[in-house]
Amino acid sequence: MISSLQLPLHFQHRPSLSGDDFIVAPCNSEAIQWIDRWPKWPEPIIALTGPRGCGKSHLVNVFSNIAKPYPIVVNKLEHALRRAMKVQTAFVIDNAEEKLCMEVEELFLHFINVLKESGGHLLIASSNPPGRWKLALPDLVSRLRAVQVVSIGMPDDRLVAALLVKLFSDRQLRIDSDVIKYLLPRIDRSFEGIQKQVSILDSTALHLQRKITVPFVREILDNKQKSVDN
Amino acid sequence: MGLSSDMTNRRVNIPTSTETKKSVSEQWNELVERLRQDIGEAAYQSWIKPIVVRKVDGGTAYLTVPTRFMRDWILAHYAEDLRELWRTLNSDIQQVEIRVNADRVSRTNLGPLNSEVTASESVPKSKNVGADDILSAPLDPRFTFENFVVGKPNEFAYAAARRVSEASSLPFNPLFLYGGVGLGKTHLMHGIAWHIRNTAPKRAVIYMSAEKFMYRFIRALREKSTVDFKDQFRSADVLMIDDVQFIAGKESTQEEFFHTFNALVDQGRQIVISADKSPSDLGMEERLVSRLNCGLVADIHATTYELRLGILESKAEQLSAKVPRKVIEFLAHKITSNVRELEGGLNRVVAHAQLVGREISMEATHDVLHDLLRANDRRVTVDEIQKRVAEHFNIRISDMHSARRARSVARPRQVAMYLAKQLTARSLPEIGRKFGGRDHTTVMHAIRKVDELRDIDQGFGEDVELLKRMLEN
Repeated sequence: MISSLQLPLHFQHRPSLSGDDFIVAPCNSEAIQWIDRWPKWPEPIIALTGPRGCGKSHLVNVFSNIAKPYPIVVNKLEHALRRAMKVQTAFVIDNAEEKLCMEVEELFLHFINVLKESGGHLLIASSNPPGRWKLALPDLVSRLRAVQVVSIGMPDDRLVAALLVKLFSDRQLRIDSDVIKYLLPRIDRSFEGIQKQVSILDSTALHLQRKITVPFVREILDNKQKSVDN
Repeated sequence: MGLSSDMTNRRVNIPTSTETKKSVSEQWNELVERLRQDIGEAAYQSWIKPIVVRKVDGGTAYLTVPTRFMRDWILAHYAEDLRELWRTLNSDIQQVEIRVNADRVSRTNLGPLNSEVTASESVPKSKNVGADDILSAPLDPRFTFENFVVGKPNEFAYAAARRVSEASSLPFNPLFLYGGVGLGKTHLMHGIAWHIRNTAPKRAVIYMSAEKFMYRFIRALREKSTVDFKDQFRSADVLMIDDVQFIAGKESTQEEFFHTFNALVDQGRQIVISADKSPSDLGMEERLVSRLNCGLVADIHATTYELRLGILESKAEQLSAKVPRKVIEFLAHKITSNVRELEGGLNRVVAHAQLVGREISMEATHDVLHDLLRANDRRVTVDEIQKRVAEHFNIRISDMHSARRARSVARPRQVAMYLAKQLTARSLPEIGRKFGGRDHTTVMHAIRKVDELRDIDQGFGEDVELLKRMLEN
């Protein structure tokens, strides 16, 4: 509940594996658990999906540190295929959907078949679940519709608050807890919306040479609303 | 030596000097260190480290491994490297023999492969021995005849596959299995291979995808080793090529396939082919189509509801998972495309339940399979929420925005605000404005109120959950 939110927030923090901490929350804990569980996955492929800014690439980094996977480059899929034929190993592909095109669908299917035969693993990160990618090859579609999908859902209030603290801190800004409490019920709660809001506050404060305080935030949000109303 | 062509490229680190004076264990240590550098740490730990050197005798190195599967894998992937590397350290070594150390085999979890632990095969230079081990793709232990659920759509193909695996003479040649993607063609082929391995282990069975056949053929062409390539395939007693549609239109591969096919048929060897279409629809050249048509052509039809139920029940049993009947029925009703996706759906639900440590429920099934059950994840709008909630509680949409405070309209309004917070990314002030310009503190109050009521009134909680699910779908 928002009203009962007490700051400072106590979050479980993941030890940094990529120079940065990953905030574990209900919406992403399943993803973290699967990655931690590697190589004890029930099936060879796991797909991590969620909206922009939800931390997929960060999780890919975490996986890379744990499993030392071979990163798949779509226009060099043959390299991955040869590797899968040679050794039992892990692979990773980030932003997979944007990269796959018709010319390589058959090769990707072949890669998945070989991966399964060799007992290797593949972590896919993409905005859309693989079963919804626009692909032409039915065999590939059907294989991708059967993979384990882990979605990162909407952030809850605690994660929104923690993300605000983290994003301000990434910009070397130390913000009072009052500001976070004030912002929390008043902002768009999508991952992208939170990032946008922090960016607006930072650049406006810099421009006006003001500190980010509750009155300042109120002014910015009121002005934004006025411009929407007009 | 019957070898897969894709292994030969890997031998890049082999030195030319020979050192015969080192002890066997020194030779072995040096050899595995080189191999480790070449194949990487993970593969080394999995496959090479467990090998035990028993002795070197008369030009043969005798090695043992704990399981038959491990032996098969090493034979297929590393045997040639082991032999070649060893020869560079000790030129007397002509042959490496790998046996299963029967003492160490656990019979509990290794599946049907254990039935032949006494078998021992060597890695000889001869091209026709152990060809199945080297060429054939690993078999999925789940794909046995026992695990194949038979129903009207697949009973003919199943009976044909069983016949091929059981017959001592050739009942029909080739057996051509076809059907849409994910209907069980690969399962039947693996079933044939498992059955033959268990009942007639001396028969050399090669199972391979058509893509891999093509890949190996192209490499053989590149490496000018097509004679070896032909010999390897032509030494099979049973050759099974899966998904042959992938070589349609690839002329030279098709040509080679045709010759391999003819050679094997002429020698009275069994061939099993699968594809997603009938021979005539494959778009292959006429002489090959007529060859493919001359045995038995068995098709697998799309599943029926009853078959899907049977498959799910059998799969749940294999997974030792307690799956509620209504979840099984729901999956059988919703995932109609093919068996792969159907089983994939159940796998996903079971894996999720095991991960989070909760029982399988309808709600969890909806959540886990959202990408299959919904065409997209378009976020619902506040307007849609207001409309649906108003309909549900039988009030006017205008009451969502009105100032009326009677409980009959205030409560549904609070539910709609609660759902707007849950299902949209809108800020609370924005949600307030959508409800007749209310303040964000009113929205916060509504959310708190609905949370409280859900805790104390189960019926109310179920109502809210139902609305949420309807809106999400």
